[in-house]
Amino acid sequence: MRFAMVLLVILASACLAGSLIPQGETAAVYSGSYPKPAAGLILALGLDDVFHAWWFAVLAILLCLSLILCNLIRLPALIRRTKDGFSYRACASSAAEPILELGEKPSALFRSLGFFRVEAPEENVVYAARNRLGIWGAWLCHLGMLVLILGFGLGQLTQFDASVYGIPGQTKPIPGTDYAVTIEDFEILLRPDETVDQYTTTLTVSDGGVRTAGGITQVNHPCKLFGMKFYQNSTGWGADFTVEKDGSVLQQEFLCAGELAHVKPVEGLTVFLRAFYPDYAEDDSGMPMTKSSALSNPAYLYMLYYGEELLGMNVLTAGQVITVDDYTISFHDPQPYTLIQVKRDPFEGTAALGGGIILAALLLAFYCPPMEVWAVRDPDRGVWQVFIRSRKAEDRLHRDLLRAAERSEYNVSDH
Amino acid sequence: MFLTIENYLFTAAMAVYLGGTALFFLFAVTKKERHARIAGVLITVGFVFHTLALVVRGIGAGRLPMANQYEFATSFAWGICLCFLVFYYRYRFYALGVFAAPILFLVIGYAAMQSREVRELMPALRSSWLGIHVSAAIIAYGAFGVSCAVSMVFLCRARLLKNKAWESYIPEEEALDRISYRAVSLGFLFLTFVMITGAIWAERAWGSYWSWDPKETWSLITWFIYAAYLHLRMNRGWRGKRAAVFAVVGFACVLFTYVGVNTLLPGLHSYA
Ligand code: HEM
Repeated sequence: MRFAMVLLVILASACLAGSLIPQGETAAVYSGSYPKPAAGLILALGLDDVFHAWWFAVLAILLCLSLILCNLIRLPALIRRTKDGFSYRACASSAAEPILELGEKPSALFRSLGFFRVEAPEENVVYAARNRLGIWGAWLCHLGMLVLILGFGLGQLTQFDASVYGIPGQTKPIPGTDYAVTIEDFEILLRPDETVDQYTTTLTVSDGGVRTAGGITQVNHPCKLFGMKFYQNSTGWGADFTVEKDGSVLQQEFLCAGELAHVKPVEGLTVFLRAFYPDYAEDDSGMPMTKSSALSNPAYLYMLYYGEELLGMNVLTAGQVITVDDYTISFHDPQPYTLIQVKRDPFEGTAALGGGIILAALLLAFYCPPMEVWAVRDPDRGVWQVFIRSRKAEDRLHRDLLRAAERSEYNVSDH
Repeated sequence: MFLTIENYLFTAAMAVYLGGTALFFLFAVTKKERHARIAGVLITVGFVFHTLALVVRGIGAGRLPMANQYEFATSFAWGICLCFLVFYYRYRFYALGVFAAPILFLVIGYAAMQSREVRELMPALRSSWLGIHVSAAIIAYGAFGVSCAVSMVFLCRARLLKNKAWESYIPEEEALDRISYRAVSLGFLFLTFVMITGAIWAERAWGSYWSWDPKETWSLITWFIYAAYLHLRMNRGWRGKRAAVFAVVGFACVLFTYVGVNTLLPGLHSYA
């Protein structure tokens, strides 16, 4: 227990570090934004990627071991208690004192308090228990934790995750698989105030042309095809990139903003479409910007390289071209592309099951405290003495019972 | 039009809360039960205005008012108020108000500083999970807020009781401890629910049910802290003072998860 609590505190501290220190940056970023010793420490301890560090996994495994051990140790006692812990015999041997005396048999009174199965284990005795399963709350919570961590961990190890982007009409392979996605349609639904209401991609997936299946994916509504889930992840701008010579098109392809294209006819020449502005303008300091997301004045910020050498960088507006020797390079017909995330996590259901178990277990642990009530008739005085037993809710049960007895027609004497 | 009505209602709620808070302070000085009782009534009236303000905003926006920083702050204050009122009327102790009302006022004050513009939701937020997730968060945070207030009463109890007049207004240590525990249990259950519904929603919207974004990470930290609280309390007998300190620290984490993460750390949740 103590070890587990220390683990919880260490895990919480690791999470703290992971949330305060930017994650997954390059070494240069850390040396730039932290003093030298701190940056060294961050990199040495793997604090730049806490949640994927080996020691974080070790901590999680230790927590699991501790949970397993703790549940194993407690299992026999729990089974024993479930089997015969709730019985009049066990109650009778406890040193409970009667809490009140009644003139008649209190079966109906017990029932009114939710003890639906009132037994008569012996003559002149009634006994009832409720929330017996409540003793399993903590145990199940730990089990749920285990299932959840297991599902998450296995998912991290086995999941497949890729992304595909394109414009309607394009077919792209899903990296790492034999499948290909054809983007049939991509629609951006706007509201009257020009904000985006929904992104919708209609797609077809095929496995090497043998089988195909189609679906529609939207934000918050992924579709599932061939066991993979397709998420509408994001969008961006791109345009047709053309290389011409003497009026004939030598190369044409769709280029997204942020992508690099090799100018095939000229060995070593590349064009980088650094940014796209649908509604181009210059800000106060002369920097390019877009006034809106409407496609009213498209402009392209490009960088031209020969090998490693930067030949030029400029903004092209409609109709402007780049000329290199006899070649004319241009961008035209801008349109938004869709970015689809493709994912398969075989252990998603396991993690969800773990979460469900934890929730149910917490309800049990907090709101279903096991309680027992019984009454024994004192033959000499002809009264029923009422007893209660509950580890967690004795006060409440005591109070409820007294109240219910007062309300009823019973002839009560309080102890 | 809706916005104007909401503005009036919100301002009225805030003013009445302020009055209630002030009266609770007055009660702390005078120990006159009448002041506390009126303060309780004022907070209740404020709660009615506040509820109406939320309803009007919801109707005006055509959706649940739980989507940007202002809406979540005002809903959060509403949740604290709801939990406060439940515990206040159930356990009937006036000193709770002295500590809970300022927390309430602080959060609604934070809400008042946010932009009240009604914006349409970005597609990722347009999900029925939003309502479930955020409503649960409101209850969880409200319950933790109450446990924090009760724990502060606990921690100050000895000092307050130097003045005999407090005696009839502050429950026994044991009762305070139990109320705080009940509030933490409620909060923990709801926090767990918040994290699970959040994960389901994140899976649908972003394709990953847990991506260690700062808000997720901080809710996990908060969850660990309250899990430690529950264990230490149950198995190591950490009742009373140490448990109370834990509950206050836990609520500080809750506040950071909510305010700090949005303003100080980058992440998916920060568009709110
Ligand atoms: C993050 C991990 C954990 C969570 C969320 C968790 C949750 C819980 C909860 C909710 C309870 C019931 C509390 C109550 O009824 O007030 C509990 C009880 C308990 N836990 Fe954990 N637990 C965790 C890890 C552990 C570990 C690693 C151990 C032991 C090695 C442990 C040992 C216990 C014990 C002994 C109890 C007392 C149960 C009883 O007496 O009924 N827990 N836990």
